[in-house]
Amino acid sequence: MPGKLDICSHCGGPPLSRRGLLQISVALASVPFLRPIPGFAATPAADALEVTEIAPGVFVHQGRYEMQSPENRGNMANAGFIVGNDAVAVIDTLGSEEVGEQLRNAVRAVTDKPIRYVINTHMHPDHVFGNAAFKQDNPEFVANRKLERGLRARAERYLMINKKMLGPEAFKGIEIVLPTVAVDDKLTLDLGGRSLLLETQPTAHTDNDLIITDSATNTMFLGDILFSGHVPTLDGSIEGWLAVIDNLKQRKVARVVPGHGPHAMELPQAFDPEEHYLATIATDVRKMIKDGKTIEDATKTAGFEARDSWKLFDDYHVRNVTAAFAELEWE
Amino acid sequence: MSDTVSRLVSASAAAAVAATLFVCGVPSAKADEDVWPTLKQANFGDRDIKAEDGFVTLDAPVTAEDAAIVPLTVRIPPSVKDNLKSLTLIIDKNPNPVVAKVHFGPAAGNGGERSFATRVRIDNFSHVRAILETEDGTLHMATKFVQAAGGCAAMQAKDPEADMAGLGKMIVKTFPPALSTTPLFEGQVMIKHPNSNGMQLDINSGDPIPARFVKEVVVKRDGELVFDMDTTFSISTNPNFRFTFGRGADNALDVAITDTDGTLFTSKSQPSGS
Repeated sequence: MPGKLDICSHCGGPPLSRRGLLQISVALASVPFLRPIPGFAATPAADALEVTEIAPGVFVHQGRYEMQSPENRGNMANAGFIVGNDAVAVIDTLGSEEVGEQLRNAVRAVTDKPIRYVINTHMHPDHVFGNAAFKQDNPEFVANRKLERGLRARAERYLMINKKMLGPEAFKGIEIVLPTVAVDDKLTLDLGGRSLLLETQPTAHTDNDLIITDSATNTMFLGDILFSGHVPTLDGSIEGWLAVIDNLKQRKVARVVPGHGPHAMELPQAFDPEEHYLATIATDVRKMIKDGKTIEDATKTAGFEARDSWKLFDDYHVRNVTAAFAELEWE
Repeated sequence: MSDTVSRLVSASAAAAVAATLFVCGVPSAKADEDVWPTLKQANFGDRDIKAEDGFVTLDAPVTAEDAAIVPLTVRIPPSVKDNLKSLTLIIDKNPNPVVAKVHFGPAAGNGGERSFATRVRIDNFSHVRAILETEDGTLHMATKFVQAAGGCAAMQAKDPEADMAGLGKMIVKTFPPALSTTPLFEGQVMIKHPNSNGMQLDINSGDPIPARFVKEVVVKRDGELVFDMDTTFSISTNPNFRFTFGRGADNALDVAITDTDGTLFTSKSQPSGS
């Protein structure tokens, strides 16, 4: 896919002890960019997720392109954290308390500064179920105003499905942690020496999407408004999503972080494959509606030529077409 | 004062959680329980139901990709010549298992493949049933098993504000058959309606939003009854029905829909399938 700035190849490497990790961190402290922080797999409690410093003080973990499973422990989305002079903000917490704790360990491997904010980009379990791991830090949990409604309405179903898919071990410790600070339009959070601008978006991937821009490095976290590699999943509005993409493509930022995909990408081309995927579905579905076809007809053909371009296509595509059809037939 | 308020708020929040549990909580014993004998008794008493006897077929996905919008299509093959009396759709494991009960009128038509399609919410792994009653009073049943897909599909509205904004907007379409001699037309009725089940929460208060859903749909062709249908909140948000009807003079459909608030919504198609 053109325009992808995939820097994940740096983050492999042998497991290290905590001491070894700290030595490497010190050695690389003068390198401002792309400092890999390898995970160390000694004991589960001391486990820290692999994170990559994509810009000074901006760390991102890349999740797997998978459905949740006992093997991946709910580690199937991107998450990150930003370190200021005074405090740390965590952006998304992954899909279980266990991997949330590992993300927290990754923060602690980098800094002792207090984790003051835990920001969720939207309500989906693979981005919020690790929140429980950060309760010990007593942070503000920050999200779009509409996240609470969406998550509470779906809580029982999310818990039931994830218990089944993760298995009892990886499900342990998961709880619904709701926002303590709700964002209505924009909110600025000060971390000391840098601030984060949080902006709600019109209904796109969900009705509670939130994007976060770091003032110091001009890095924008897009949550699941941007998918790369992992097929986009539509739980909001296809028209709305295409409009949000059109708008965000105009932004001048140094880099963006997708909710699923590589650690960092560049605008505007980062959006091209996703925009093409959604626009093709919209075009195909509109034509079928015009021709008097049914929703079942659409789920068998619309957008299928993209099948080889995306991971998890078979898991989500039919659902995307179904949702698109139900939305677009009202035009 | 403020103490009372906070107690009230937490009480309503607890009620909301309990309500959600009622819909979505799935004790495994109950999930495995065969509820059909009870449902059959409640809806059809001791009457004999002929299963899979070729009078009716049901198309449903094996896996509900989006549990909030599961398309169901009931077909009555052309080999069945009887006029139709009623059609009942049942989802065994839904909170309200009876999805819809359709009573056919003289304009329902005959002389080809007849069909009735809608979209439903399926809360759990469940049998889905279409029970057709022919004019002679015999009952015929087609059954499919649908599994809820894993992942993030949810019963709830994707965008509650957008759903409420256009409430009551209707689209009524007719589709003429390819051959002018075919005695059956197709029609489609859509209404913007949240069809809320009472389990969604108000964004500001956290209180449950009262249930409000479409409960009756009456469709007439050139003034004659095609069908009159009782429905529940197992029908998806923005209820959608597609069905065959008998060819008439103008083939104009008149639709009257009533919801549980008692609001009446009406609309009509343009004549001759435009």
